[in-house]
Amino acid sequence: MLFSQARKRAVVNTATATRVARVDGFVVLPGPARVALLRLGKVSGAGTLLSWDDVQGFGPDAVTVATDAVIRPARDGLEQRAEDNDLEILGKRVLSEQGTELGAVTDVDFDPETGAVTSLITKTDTIAGQRLIGLGGYAAVVSS
Amino acid sequence: MTTPAPTLLLRASELIGRPVVTLSGEFVAEIKDVVFERTGGRIAGFTLRNPGLFSRSRKDSLPWAGVHGVGRDAVMVPDETVLTPAKELAPRKKARKADVLQDRVLTDHGRDLGRVVDVVLHGGTTLDVVGYEVEASETLGTAGQRVLIPLPDTVAVSGEHLIVPATATEFVSDDLAGFGAAVDAFRRRLREGAS
Repeated sequence: MLFSQARKRAVVNTATATRVARVDGFVVLPGPARVALLRLGKVSGAGTLLSWDDVQGFGPDAVTVATDAVIRPARDGLEQRAEDNDLEILGKRVLSEQGTELGAVTDVDFDPETGAVTSLITKTDTIAGQRLIGLGGYAAVVSS
Repeated sequence: MTTPAPTLLLRASELIGRPVVTLSGEFVAEIKDVVFERTGGRIAGFTLRNPGLFSRSRKDSLPWAGVHGVGRDAVMVPDETVLTPAKELAPRKKARKADVLQDRVLTDHGRDLGRVVDVVLHGGTTLDVVGYEVEASETLGTAGQRVLIPLPDTVAVSGEHLIVPATATEFVSDDLAGFGAAVDAFRRRLREGAS
């Protein structure tokens, strides 16, 4: 499933059967590349992050959670940067580990069952997710 | 016949202003200057520009050994711990003034090929100084023009002169496009000659 298809999806609490948030973005971590967190919008509380581990199901129509309590604020510096959008992968420049720019990430393909990132998509290339070795404020770094 | 993958050659001066980026994807600094080693005609490392970051740590230079890869768009480092204070990179006073630039390149037969104006690097993850750009002397028949002279794997340096084998004159290039092949051919010749 592509990030572009999965964005704006409703987050539904299965205990109350109510819509509690909307998926605004994805926080990807390298080694192995995976969706670690979802960034949410239209939340009722202060927190906007949802751990992949707390996702019940990432379905074609909704993302389900067991309780609203799993929607939470950032716990550490890395999560704070993620919440601040500093680590957003979409639009980020891709650098090879040898220092050559390979374009910018336009979309990401991931496995909705596991959260594993299968590929990074640029205007000209599809780069296997396993090649992602770093994702920082400046660039996504991929191995050769 | 298949074409070999293009080798990335770049002039050391082109690296100035290029970002230094960690393998975690974080911007560290920009390359301010290239520091050459007095002995060996090689690169000691880079001085960096990022006043905000360095105001406390003073770790404002990057030794050659700390470089992971040099590419067209960035100089890659494993992480920020490879940075050192500039005085460790070039401990002697005026070391940067006394670098390889302006030195004369002399063949082992005693012919002056010209004055060094830049250093040519082979980028990627295996970093290598592969040639000098010199302002050619009369010896080369292209006097006054800038040409590229290939280097063997090791170079003898005296302090005023860089000594290259006389055969280097047969592998001189006008631009970087054909220079990679010239370096390979030159080094192959040297190896064959030595065996």
